[in-house]
Amino acid sequence: MNFDSILGKVIEISHSNLEIEARIRAILNIVSGDLHFDDALIYTLDKDKRLSCRFNNRLSLLFDLLADYRCHVGEGVIGTVAQKRAPLFYTLKDIPPRLGCLFYAHLDEVLPRYKVFAFMPLADDSFLYGVLLAASSTREAISPGEKIVLSILSRELGGIFRTYDLLLSSKKRITELATLSELGRILTSTMEPSAILENIALITAKALSASFATIKLDLAFIKLSGQRFTSGSIANNLEARVLDLEAQASRLRQPVGSAEALTGEAGASGKTFTILAAPITARDRILGTITLGRRLDHPDVPDDQQDRYLLGMIANYISSGLDNALLNIKLRDALRELGDAQRRLIENEKLRSLGEMTANIAHEIKNPLVVIGGFTKRLAKTVHLDPSENRYVEIITKEVTRLESILAEILNYVKEVPLLLERCDLNALLDEIVYLLSSDKGWSAVQVVKHYAPDLPPALCDVQQIKQVFINMLMNSFEAMRGEGTITITTERTDISEKPFIAISVRDTGGGIEPAYLDNIFNPFFTTKERGIGLGLAISNKIVVHHGGDIEVKNTPGEGALFIMHLPCQERPGAGPGGAPPQTPGGARGERPVRLKDAQ
Amino acid sequence: MEKIRILLVDDEEHIRLLFKEELEEEGYTISLASNGFEALEVLRSDRFDLVVLDVKMPGMDGIQTLNEIKKLNKDQRVILCSAYGEYQQDFSSWVSDAYVVKSADMRELKQTIKNVLGV
Repeated sequence: MNFDSILGKVIEISHSNLEIEARIRAILNIVSGDLHFDDALIYTLDKDKRLSCRFNNRLSLLFDLLADYRCHVGEGVIGTVAQKRAPLFYTLKDIPPRLGCLFYAHLDEVLPRYKVFAFMPLADDSFLYGVLLAASSTREAISPGEKIVLSILSRELGGIFRTYDLLLSSKKRITELATLSELGRILTSTMEPSAILENIALITAKALSASFATIKLDLAFIKLSGQRFTSGSIANNLEARVLDLEAQASRLRQPVGSAEALTGEAGASGKTFTILAAPITARDRILGTITLGRRLDHPDVPDDQQDRYLLGMIANYISSGLDNALLNIKLRDALRELGDAQRRLIENEKLRSLGEMTANIAHEIKNPLVVIGGFTKRLAKTVHLDPSENRYVEIITKEVTRLESILAEILNYVKEVPLLLERCDLNALLDEIVYLLSSDKGWSAVQVVKHYAPDLPPALCDVQQIKQVFINMLMNSFEAMRGEGTITITTERTDISEKPFIAISVRDTGGGIEPAYLDNIFNPFFTTKERGIGLGLAISNKIVVHHGGDIEVKNTPGEGALFIMHLPCQERPGAGPGGAPPQTPGGARGERPVRLKDAQ
Repeated sequence: MEKIRILLVDDEEHIRLLFKEELEEEGYTISLASNGFEALEVLRSDRFDLVVLDVKMPGMDGIQTLNEIKKLNKDQRVILCSAYGEYQQDFSSWVSDAYVVKSADMRELKQTIKNVLGV
């Protein structure tokens, strides 16, 4: 046999573009074919650092027997070769009675066929990758030349394994980097928080070949639609286990895994899962957990350590990113609010100068109007007019009166009236107004239903102005119902942003407001009435806002409108100033008379 | 019996004319002033039962004039008369005897004058 050509083939194969595993198998076939070994097997270190038989030549008989067999480094012949990193050659007659763990009962029946064995370590200068086992039934011995060929070939195989290792780890790194870069892209995006979390779950599930990945948030630090974001589906019978692991991960502040394999859907044989959970912590705060479940029969052999490491890394990476993303979103919302406030401010400033201008114009118009109206009347008194001319005078006078009232209303809207705040029982005020209005015979077909809160705390308001608001509201309802229907008045105590308010609602059966008008109803000079200049709601709104409250409108087209006013109120008696004086701690000290002598 | 004398102060000529005619018809003797300075000038040398004083006037406005009048004679009866009611909130207008919003309908002014004079 020409060693040169064998080594040439080996080197050619090892430097070829073939898949790594194909290169290894091709070299094993050379060992078996050209060097006449029936069996050429390679043991490699698995994830537990144990030697297991992973590669074999095409015609190997031993592989099936040895495939399940694993041994520690240092154990048996294979283990010894791995440990000492030195080749061992045996002929059958040399073989000691026991060869460690390598040979066991099944093997005893087969082994007598073989006459020579070669055990070659596969290593480079720093690492051991595995052991090559070559066994022949036809050879009597291994020549020194063959030993050299085997030794060169082993080094070549070691090189291939090193490449293999590098390739695997760089593949992993690439996956990790790709995952992290994808996560980074998501975290720095301007997506809504829930979309960000859903995407993180999806990417994590993909990166770790998991059937599901789920993120649970522990802190309600931002308003979200939910607290759990899942990619894939969690089998019903795994849910409890997922919750359990999430709690464990939060408590231990480190990634945890289910020790045992868990069976998924009942009846689906072979669907066993491992579950891993990692806490998401930012600035010593547990934001939540990320958990994934993977089927054990997934083609990628699960590597628990690696998965925990990667999941932990993802959790770390997203924790700060998520924290930032959420802060960013808060910031964005704050900026938007700031922008809105600025716009409102400009709008208010515009309205204010518009108000001043309007007030001035109203003033300038009023005097000529008085003159026109006044002299018209004088004319009618002093000159004899026929009936039709008298009617003209009447029309002028009437229109002047109308203009005067319009001007008064406009001025009423634009002027800044200071509030004279006093405590006011709104139930009583409403009763008074309802009594006044309903004593008009036009109100005979209107039913007023009152749902008052019995122990309503007093409101703090300018009674005259609020009275005007209530009258406006009730008159609007009355007009919307064309004088026929039911007005329901409700009062209740409520909280807005933890501050005490009273809600006064007025519901009518007037068919509601045309949806297209809804945005405009509080705007000055917007009206749907034939007579009226559209200042009633605008003034009411201005007054209520001036009080620190608001008016909300809920509309049911075809049925009616509901106006809800919120007015700030005084706390219940006893809860605030004016109630029972608070107990001063250490009151006993106050009772003790001060002795001047003691002080001196 | 001597006629009741009223001093009418308003910067608008036509308002003065209208009010003069309307009030003379009621039997009052009306004198006119077109601003606060003029009114004070007249009041220093003459006596009136009542001053009807416009509020919004150039130079010295009605409220300032009111204060000067009261310094001159704290018993002088004064009715403030303005296009709108907003000065009613100004406490310095409270020293006047009444506050009337100008209107083409003169009935309120006439009634207020009667009330203030007690006739």
